[in-house]
Amino acid sequence: MLQLIREIRKNRELIWALALKELHVRYKRSALGFLWALLNPLLMMIILTMVFSTVMRVPVHNYPIFLISTLLPWTFFSQSLAYSVESIVSNGDLLKKVYVAKSVFPIAAVISNLINFLLSMIPLVLLLVVFRFPFHRTWFYLLVPFVSLLLFTLGCGFFFAMVNVFFRDMSHILQIVLQAWFYFSPVIYSLDFVPARYRPLFRLNPLAYPLNGFRLAIYYGQLPTWQSMAMSLACGFGALIIGYKLFQRSEDNLVFYV
Amino acid sequence: MSDFDKVRRIERICFQDVVQRFRLIQERPDTLREAFAHLFRKQTSYHDFEALKGISFIIREGEAVAIVGRNGSGKSTILKIIAGVYRPTAGQVRISGQVGALIELGAGFHPDLTGRENIVLNGLLLGLSKREIHAREQKILDFAELGDFIDSPVKQYSSGMFMRLGFAVATEIDPDILLIDEILAVGDETFQRKCAERIEDFRRRGKTIVFVSHNLVAVRQICHRALMIDSGLLFADGPVDEVVSDYEQRMQGSFEQRPHASAVPSA
Repeated sequence: MLQLIREIRKNRELIWALALKELHVRYKRSALGFLWALLNPLLMMIILTMVFSTVMRVPVHNYPIFLISTLLPWTFFSQSLAYSVESIVSNGDLLKKVYVAKSVFPIAAVISNLINFLLSMIPLVLLLVVFRFPFHRTWFYLLVPFVSLLLFTLGCGFFFAMVNVFFRDMSHILQIVLQAWFYFSPVIYSLDFVPARYRPLFRLNPLAYPLNGFRLAIYYGQLPTWQSMAMSLACGFGALIIGYKLFQRSEDNLVFYV
Repeated sequence: MSDFDKVRRIERICFQDVVQRFRLIQERPDTLREAFAHLFRKQTSYHDFEALKGISFIIREGEAVAIVGRNGSGKSTILKIIAGVYRPTAGQVRISGQVGALIELGAGFHPDLTGRENIVLNGLLLGLSKREIHAREQKILDFAELGDFIDSPVKQYSSGMFMRLGFAVATEIDPDILLIDEILAVGDETFQRKCAERIEDFRRRGKTIVFVSHNLVAVRQICHRALMIDSGLLFADGPVDEVVSDYEQRMQGSFEQRPHASAVPSA
């Protein structure tokens, strides 16, 4: 863990440049460029709002906000993993020629999506204003689910990036895993909708805690129980420590298999 | 240099019984289907290949050392170990000072980024800080001579421009140890002359150079010492003229052993 912090400190400029490069390349050839980072979530929100307030009415007050409060963090998580899983393999040519700390690639993949995630909060604020939805004071609490989710994503990112080097099926398996994970996470519903006897099962999902934290703070204006906060942070730190340990263990061998 | 000098100079590169083993996997199960197939076939489908079988040498500050040997003898593996790309399977490696590698020019350039953006990204990849890169940017631009192309994506560059930029970035970081792998063979004459001048400049300033090449004329020109490697073992280590002559003789020898040389029908 200390080593990870040292590595990040030492390579911070490189990580930042790689993350910006990722975004830069993603938006470079388009006429609207970086605006897409704002436009994309905005348009998505408009579509969701239209569908759920006219076509399909869900018996939840302001369902679009209920949904988007967890959909944005979920999108950050799934996109980050989709990028990190390929991050080592796609830089294989480089790794064979220059010595670079391998950890910078999954970290940069997560950071570039983190920037997108933070930008997508702007259209969310717009949506709340349009809906005359109150900004709860619990917004300040968002820091806890935010940090938990970031650490958890990094940990998973390290793990999938490493495994994909040795076992290329991982990137395909990940797509399926993410799809299943989406439906088993409280994104389109909340845990209260789940029949009571299945609820303990859903609590095994480490993502449920930060996602729930986002929804409580943005939509309900409530604070989670301290147990839930602790679980959220514990899962984040746990995933990061395990993911990085596994990554570190095979770091020297990655170059022989990319 | 005298023996007295040798002792006083800093050891830049020290290899002690270095072994590099690669696991060559035949039909590595890359996909799930193949993994299943292998479960049922139950065969070990790999063998170990020793690219280096215990190599020891010391290279000091200010030395220009060539590594000669046939294809596949382990020359490039040595360079990659010095560069930190490979961690050796066994043995000790000590490197002191910053290493700059002219192994593949422009490795890490992103085709969609401009020349200027790539200078920054590549410099960071090679271990420089942003500030150090900006301090060198003008010199890099001067050497690469790209004109207005510097603000176009590098995918639009000619291969010569690409290499000039790669060479400029790699040498402007001003490493203590410069690794060169067969790069003088590329580019036009002007570029080659510029490269040669720059390498000569490195040598004059007492930097350490490790040069891998099949161009024995260039080897004799740049280096004063040579290591001869064959099938992962060190065969000779000494003044460049001796080692290169020896190497040339051995190469000749291997040619003579070809069947057609002895298959002259007797009358």
